[in-house]
Amino acid sequence: MQNRVLARLLTLAAAVASVAAPQSAPHRSALRQLPALTPHDSALHALDRLAYGPRPGEVDAVAAGGVMNWIDRQLSPDQLDDRLVAERAATFRILRYDSGDLARLYAAASEERRERQRQGAGQPAMDSLAPPADLGGKEAQMGRRLAGEVEQLAVVRAALSRRQLYEVMVDFWVNHFNVFFGKGADRVLAPSYIEETLRPRALGKFADLLIAAARSPAMLFYLDNWQSVAPGSMPPALTRPRLQARPWFGRGRYVPGFSQEPARADSQRRRALERMPKGINENYARELLELHTLGVDGGYTQQDVIEVARILTGWSIKRPQQGGGFEFHDWAHDYGEKTVLGVRFPAGHGMDEGVRLLKLLASLPATMHHVSRKLCQRLVNDEPPDGCVDDAVAAWKRSSGDIREVVRAIVRGPDFWAPQNIGAKVKTPLEFVVSAVRAVGGDPDTTPRLAQVVARLGQPLYRHVAPDGYPEREEAWVNSGALLDRMNVAVALAAGRLPGVTVALDSVALATGDAERLIAAVNDGILGGTMSDNTRRVIRDELADARDPVAARALAVGLALGGPEFQRQ
Amino acid sequence: MSVSRRVFVKSGGLALVSLGLDPLFLARAAFASYRPLPPPTASDRPILVCLFQRGAVDGLNMVVPHGESLYYRERPRIAVPASEVVDLDGHFGLHPRLAALKPLWDNKSLGVIHAVGSPDSTRSHFDAQDYMESGTPGAKSTTDGWLNRYCQHDREHDDTPFRAVAFGPQLPRILAGSAPSLAIDDLQAFGLRAPQEAARDRLTRAFEELYAGSATGLLSSSSQEAFEAVQLLQQANPTQYRPDHDADYPRGRLGRSLQQIAQLIKGNLGLQLAFADVTGWDTHVNQGASEGQLAARLAELGQGLAAFAQDLGERLRDVVVLTMSEFGRTIRENGNIGTDHGHATAMLVMGGPVNGGRVLGRWPGLDPASRFEGRDLAVTTDFRDLFGEVLARHLGATDLSAVFPGFTPDPTRFPGAIRG
Repeated sequence: MQNRVLARLLTLAAAVASVAAPQSAPHRSALRQLPALTPHDSALHALDRLAYGPRPGEVDAVAAGGVMNWIDRQLSPDQLDDRLVAERAATFRILRYDSGDLARLYAAASEERRERQRQGAGQPAMDSLAPPADLGGKEAQMGRRLAGEVEQLAVVRAALSRRQLYEVMVDFWVNHFNVFFGKGADRVLAPSYIEETLRPRALGKFADLLIAAARSPAMLFYLDNWQSVAPGSMPPALTRPRLQARPWFGRGRYVPGFSQEPARADSQRRRALERMPKGINENYARELLELHTLGVDGGYTQQDVIEVARILTGWSIKRPQQGGGFEFHDWAHDYGEKTVLGVRFPAGHGMDEGVRLLKLLASLPATMHHVSRKLCQRLVNDEPPDGCVDDAVAAWKRSSGDIREVVRAIVRGPDFWAPQNIGAKVKTPLEFVVSAVRAVGGDPDTTPRLAQVVARLGQPLYRHVAPDGYPEREEAWVNSGALLDRMNVAVALAAGRLPGVTVALDSVALATGDAERLIAAVNDGILGGTMSDNTRRVIRDELADARDPVAARALAVGLALGGPEFQRQ
Repeated sequence: MSVSRRVFVKSGGLALVSLGLDPLFLARAAFASYRPLPPPTASDRPILVCLFQRGAVDGLNMVVPHGESLYYRERPRIAVPASEVVDLDGHFGLHPRLAALKPLWDNKSLGVIHAVGSPDSTRSHFDAQDYMESGTPGAKSTTDGWLNRYCQHDREHDDTPFRAVAFGPQLPRILAGSAPSLAIDDLQAFGLRAPQEAARDRLTRAFEELYAGSATGLLSSSSQEAFEAVQLLQQANPTQYRPDHDADYPRGRLGRSLQQIAQLIKGNLGLQLAFADVTGWDTHVNQGASEGQLAARLAELGQGLAAFAQDLGERLRDVVVLTMSEFGRTIRENGNIGTDHGHATAMLVMGGPVNGGRVLGRWPGLDPASRFEGRDLAVTTDFRDLFGEVLARHLGATDLSAVFPGFTPDPTRFPGAIRG
């Protein structure tokens, strides 16, 4: 106990020192070598939690260079050469489309779908949750292909990037600020959300990330804020006599243009008025408080939710043909006075009061605590230790919400390295698949097939419906069907039969008829030396009558990847 | 494992709940500590099959109010002519392509609840499906689904891994939550895969031993469940399945799902809840009337349900099939000879315990004055009252307020779908 207190004091001292001189040499952190963890085990633990598991030889390399050196470099990802993954990413067509291109593609696909339906070929609408039954037209197919690329790109980056901690943090924010790709226009809005909203800010200031997410079309659409309007407000298009008709995102929303013919224009205007949003929509406001910032017990009331929604009225989206970007509709904004959590927002303000609100929320203790707790849950333990959360909150205060410093504090804290937290987390499907691919020196291709494996195991990327994002708790992932699926994936991957990835088993173990040597190599290369006696015995038994050394190696690797040790990190 | 141990573990789990100490991990740990009993020999346990028509089915063309002239006035091009509907009671009739269901109506094992839906006014598929599956209309942050919450709170049946099964590649929202449930894409592919049977059995055994000796915590209990499930299923021998009574399932995902549900039921694997979904109901354009797009979807649905009933034969006695869809469609046809997103719809209930042969729920009529927001069929039965009735009267659920938080289904509002 005393040791622990001492260790915590030392951490604080080290963290303070490191904040004072962030680029300082890593030797100054006193508790880096905590008792019970060898350099090898520390490197393995760091690679399990701050990366998607080790690639062949990586544990030894990190141990040799010093695990804290490695962590410090990971915290400055821009300085890590990542040409390999940049080149690979460049082969994904999705990155050659900007958000405007995609919005126009969406508009074209929607038009195409309506045209096809007019011709009688039935097909579910794009905002149906279910996968489309029919392949659709050229534009729709392109849209789906690009959506598949976005998922696969995440898997490729996780598997190949040298900026591993950065990719882990991107995944964390993707879930913290979850949007669902399957909701209508989000299919085309989400790629820029990932690339332009979340990725550039994954290790930046939380307030910047929060504001960027709030004004991202993907979030505005997903949680309906784009159609949240002050009661009684009306778009200029409805008050002007005639404009060109243009389709809008989704269906049954207000129509921004009318016929040239007066009688028809009147009836169109009536219909449009019927469909006009009649008032505020609280969805985003509620999740902003409950999930993105304060947390469910963050001390806000239903009245606060309403006031937040009023402040954010008018934060909306341009039409697809205009690029589908963010747009503030002053006609829809509620210019009255509001009070949120006791803070007064005086009347007469427009978009600026929304920014003020988001900065306020980002700076509140409840937010620091809520987000820090989630970070500790991701990086340390499903049940985050209080000490970890305290360290993170302290760093948040010192650094005004600099995520890099918050993560640094967590990783330098004693809880991260505590024996009870080593191997304490079960991998999510994404973590399982990517760590397995990395363990066998695997190289995923650009087809969406590996992402489909992740989806089959229960974690279709960017397709978590509810705004809370994929859970970090093992109960969400461990069930009988999912475990069998993991075993099948493991066996197929080891045998080189998993579609979409090539493996390099030679980098783990040379095929050999010597079972003991093979088992030792698999233990070292796949399980980081954590193989239990039972696992060793079972693999040995299975190898007993294996004739072919190549098949024997695939079997041993498959059992190790599908076995219980590899499910943990 | 003796029964007394099971009871002990169960009451231990319940004690935790009553103390308010029921975080997810404890809940799952409590589930995990029940060891499966041998396959249940009793084959008369109540079973619920939920079928989600994703995309919002046009309830007015599925169960046609052919007795109302307004229906024909509002739908000049897509109304089903009165001469073609399968009349049910002089006022309502089934779409002609659902004719396969008429015998079930006649023998009182098919009922209709009309004008049922959500109290929430959203016309977004995404939100409305979400609400119908979470069971909490208007509340987006509910993380689990109502079928799962039922499993959490009614622990009488959780003695087999096949208690709650969804057919599809992923677990749907309706079954998400702390109670264990399975997503099965294909019954025949469930378990470990290997080219030959001997290799498969050997691989299965190897993994079983790996997990039995090396796994801890939830990994240990879940893997035990998994291998027991594989074994149970092998005994039921799904590859050899032939439907009984010449039941002819329609081709496609719905027919396959229904057939596999029948397999699980007849295999006596302890199935209590099954879920499947079927898409293609979002008929904005060229919906058709007696023929056409919607008719084709309804034909598949009708044939599927009829084949399921026929295949089950006597076993239908203990089974209720409940269809659901996120909302209905506009009363008036739109400019594209289709219908847009509306409000109330119709749901079907089929099975032995069903109070069939009648259209249930209060019919609000199509009169403009009684419409929702002046245009859509009004909801007179909250879907939670229907779902709640099925849970309570068919499955014997005792605590509906735990299944539908923030809502207390009231027996006096139950539509009467299940025979008393």
